[in-house]
Amino acid sequence: MNEESVLKIPARLEGLDLILSFVSFLLDSHGCSPQARTQLRMAVEELYVNVTLYAYPSGDGWAEIRGSVEDGMVTLRLIDGGTPFNPLEKDDPDIMLSGEERGIGGLGIFMVKTMVDEVEYEYRDGCNQLTLRKQL
Amino acid sequence: MKLTPKKNGTDLTIQLSGELNTLTAPELSALLNKELGGVKNLTLDFADCDYVSSAGLRVLLATFKQMKVAKGSMELTNVGENFMDVLQNTGLDAVFGVF
Repeated sequence: MNEESVLKIPARLEGLDLILSFVSFLLDSHGCSPQARTQLRMAVEELYVNVTLYAYPSGDGWAEIRGSVEDGMVTLRLIDGGTPFNPLEKDDPDIMLSGEERGIGGLGIFMVKTMVDEVEYEYRDGCNQLTLRKQL
Repeated sequence: MKLTPKKNGTDLTIQLSGELNTLTAPELSALLNKELGGVKNLTLDFADCDYVSSAGLRVLLATFKQMKVAKGSMELTNVGENFMDVLQNTGLDAVFGVF
């Protein structure tokens, strides 16, 4: 059984560096390739930023990240106690549109889906839980 | 993130060094707001920046639209492997000039 690492912080944008450092620290101790490391950091950034912006409309809250690596498979779980919301249900953007036709947003969650092997949402014990899995 | 602008007449080149993420994208946006007036050819050099999140892409798309309106051009140069993946996955490689 591999040990799980945990970091819990106030869900604020300024905490992004801490969350990304946590991901790097976990992956670097498991000989992760630079490419997989960047992809996982980017995926976590998109999801964490969403939590800071939308999970707690009425004030302060917390976010927690849990991570483990087992048999070359990394599992990262981002948890918050805010408003139930599944960001994965959002429609994917039309990536065939020209630059002029495109809106400038809506790419974040789509990028997450392209950067990891699996991403799952679950509302459990009063918390939003997003789980990312990727083979290193 | 370190941003190094070089202006030559109506040409502007900005070298990016570090990660273009949610926290640093506003720095690029602010620099572009300050320097973009009168620029016809914008080059963004990604030789030292291979991490671009959706917040960075938003700044690039907004700038691309601004340059189109001004009948100017925008090019991304020295794009690394990770950033190229992001551009291809989002279809933006076909939108921006990527070199």
